[in-house]
Amino acid sequence: MKVELTVNGEQHSGDVEPWRTLLSVLREDLGLTGTKSYCHSGACGACTVLLDGEPASACSLLAPQVRGRAVTTIEGLTPAGKGLTPQDAPLHPIQQAYIDHWGLQCGYCTPGMVLLTKALLDANPQPTDEEIVRHMSGNICRCTGYAGILESVRAAAAAMAGAETP
Amino acid sequence: MRDTPSESLNVVGTSPSTIEATEKVTGRTVYLPDFDVPGMTHAKVLRSPLPHARLVSIDASRANALDGVICVLTREELLADPRVEAMYGYVFRDSPLVALDRVRYQGDIVAVVVAEDLQAAEEALELIDVEYEELPYVLDAEQAMEPGAPLVHDEMLPIAPELHPVDGTNICHRTTLETGDMEKGFAEADSIFEDIYEAPPVQHCALELHAVIADVRDDDMTVWTNCQAPFPLKTELERIFKRPARVIVSYVGGGFGSKSRDRIEAVVAAASNLARRPVRLVLTQEETFLGGYIRPAFKCWLKTGVKRDGTIVARQYRFITDVGGYAITGARSANNTVKVATGPYRIPNVSVECLAVYTNKPPSAPYRGLPTTQHTMAYESQLDRIARELGISPVEIRMRNLLVEGDVHVTGDLIRSSHAKECLAQTVDALGERPPPPAPGVLRGRGFSSTIKYTLTPPRSSVESKAEVALGADGVYEVRVATVNIGQGSDTTMAQIAAEALGATLANVRVVHSDTGLVPSDTSTTASRSTFHMGNAVLDAATKLRAEIIDVSSALLEEEKEALVLDGSGARVADAPERRISLAELVGAQGGPLSMFGECEVGGTYVDTEGRSYPISSTFWTFASAGADVEVSTETGEVRLTKVSSAVNVGKAINPVSVHRQIEGGLGMELGPTLFERLVWDDTGQLLTSSLLDYPLPTMSTMPEYATALVEPHFKGGPYGAKGMGEVGSVVLPAAVLNAVYDATGVLFHSVPLDPETVLRALVAVAGEAPGKPQ
Repeated sequence: MKVELTVNGEQHSGDVEPWRTLLSVLREDLGLTGTKSYCHSGACGACTVLLDGEPASACSLLAPQVRGRAVTTIEGLTPAGKGLTPQDAPLHPIQQAYIDHWGLQCGYCTPGMVLLTKALLDANPQPTDEEIVRHMSGNICRCTGYAGILESVRAAAAAMAGAETP
Repeated sequence: MRDTPSESLNVVGTSPSTIEATEKVTGRTVYLPDFDVPGMTHAKVLRSPLPHARLVSIDASRANALDGVICVLTREELLADPRVEAMYGYVFRDSPLVALDRVRYQGDIVAVVVAEDLQAAEEALELIDVEYEELPYVLDAEQAMEPGAPLVHDEMLPIAPELHPVDGTNICHRTTLETGDMEKGFAEADSIFEDIYEAPPVQHCALELHAVIADVRDDDMTVWTNCQAPFPLKTELERIFKRPARVIVSYVGGGFGSKSRDRIEAVVAAASNLARRPVRLVLTQEETFLGGYIRPAFKCWLKTGVKRDGTIVARQYRFITDVGGYAITGARSANNTVKVATGPYRIPNVSVECLAVYTNKPPSAPYRGLPTTQHTMAYESQLDRIARELGISPVEIRMRNLLVEGDVHVTGDLIRSSHAKECLAQTVDALGERPPPPAPGVLRGRGFSSTIKYTLTPPRSSVESKAEVALGADGVYEVRVATVNIGQGSDTTMAQIAAEALGATLANVRVVHSDTGLVPSDTSTTASRSTFHMGNAVLDAATKLRAEIIDVSSALLEEEKEALVLDGSGARVADAPERRISLAELVGAQGGPLSMFGECEVGGTYVDTEGRSYPISSTFWTFASAGADVEVSTETGEVRLTKVSSAVNVGKAINPVSVHRQIEGGLGMELGPTLFERLVWDDTGQLLTSSLLDYPLPTMSTMPEYATALVEPHFKGGPYGAKGMGEVGSVVLPAAVLNAVYDATGVLFHSVPLDPETVLRALVAVAGEAPGKPQ
């Protein structure tokens, strides 16, 4: 069936079998491999994308279900702009916080974690630790034991508020 | 091995974030499931639905006729190609690439479909007609040892000399370690304690799925994989396919042992060989549970004799590890841990027996520290029971028995760097004040554990790791290593070591990793071995390159070598800095890149200053402790970790923050198997917990507060004094939690996980009330 998708601000349209997931269309048709796959049951969060700013598991959505909604993947967090390569794109403060505070090791869960953080801080710019933990518990990380991720989210909140990072 | 004093360091001992961090936070890092090769096809595996059955017939003709299907690999096609060996395995050559006469676990590989797209491959699986004849099966290792148990293999096929199968049984390996006189030791003991401990199988749950792309041609083959041991895989592929193999490993999204040896690489290569096209297979998460290696079920019997003052005088220990349907690597893993099975203690009389047993379950692999985690759980839990009965504090009884420098370990090795007491003391300090009294309905407790961990060590002296460091035309140093960057930050560690040796900064160094076509050989990225082994090889290569650069600069600048200084941008005359030559100019003048190889040789014997000789059963021993504060709900049985501390003797932290983060990661990961993870098979051999909906993993909400500490006595022989430490955080956790729960509740648990049901039933039983109705 014909599907029109808005991904990272760009319109895409094409024929897609109705059973195709958003995850497979992003990765295979659009080449956006920053969105990862593991459990394929909506339980791990490796495939987290933003739908109109809300976190969602791309493995559990069919592509036609997201017609008319704005999909943001890790590649669209800080668009490079016209004529620039992806490497020219500035890092988002959340991404910088994950680097500075060791919020990642193998990096496989990281795109999903960064987007989940974005959704949290857009809705709640100064979350308490309890709010961070509740929100971030939707995604699995196997390497860090989560301490670095918690610190990264705190630091990102502080940086985005213009405050000194702790 | 060289030895470098730890003073005046510029790069080693600092904590830059990993050099690949920017690529990872932007989603640009390419993992194996993220890329294609030209002409690539897609594979799916037909897996056995039964735990044990004879393959009567396989007919793939309907599948082969489906549009889009290129070929189907079954035993018929496998055996038809004389150039391809049908069997593989590193320790036992007991695993056929696809099932030949029978299947040995639910999930065993029966056939592989290769198709133009994944959908056709999936549809074709349904069209393969297989007739099975069910055979009696055995799922439990202890039952598998009983006379008359169904035999998983009719004959044992060990290829490593250190393996001792018991013919006519399912025991594929039995080994012992004896020192002193155990009977005499127990006779001298004031008290004797006997306990049985158990742990169920779990899966590693590395988020990056196991994947392979194989491109097999007549004259060579290339395999892209996320396996942790590219060079052993290359050798094995060359044996099976009789042509040169190149193995390429990109960044790996976690492994924890599940990728320590290949499982699907050779079968995908056989499919590519048949299809004459490149083939990709990506396992699903469910398939990784069914056949991507698991941490095996574990059971042990522990008997300890102590004097009234807590001195341990004798220990008898017997453990069973369930290797599953194929002993590809599991038997050796168990074998290696015999060396540390009786703990970090000075025990004069010891007897250890290890039994590795075939069952009709998936093959097993190491899980972040092998069964050392389970050994530690056993001997440390029992030690707290002993301490309480003798009226000695848990910390004090450990202090009285821990190995110190100069002690001889049960293996006969001289302990040259322990600091085990300091690790324990720092663990206690790091945990801090006891938390305030709990609310009603909550019990609080605190527990500690200590451990000793070994690293993969050859029986005889040999070169285990090689590295190359080159200076390229752009004036940047390139470090070439087979170490797999699996999240531990190995590229950064190696770059820091090279930069330090070359007087450079991280900006002057790049790392090429784990492509057997580009880098020299290494054993594997396992057993916490890379920082020590590959770190030494990189240091050796960089030191030689530095000497070479000074030589060349000396000729070009017409100055004595001693007058020259090397920094990140070039060589200069120390007291005439304007007389200099840049690194790029140096390469230009030389007419090509400068390059040096380095190596790390280990094993053999250690001779002390008085000429006494000791075996080296482990290149280094890692000593560590953990402490845990827990809360136990008397209403729900839920155990919550509030704070965990751990101190590790790391020798020298090359990147201290990275080391702290590795310890935290190990602690956090092991929290799952300690509190709730468990793979469950029903009585018919079907896995009940095959998805994350049935098998929850730790999340941020289960995370405790961490307090980690590094003990850094320079380790002679390590690069800048470093030892390995990547797995030890997970090794010490379960014992500390069991002891904390014992402290909180007074109930001795002899198994993990401490899930709410288990804990609540025990609390209710102790309270003398009738246990709840069985569910």
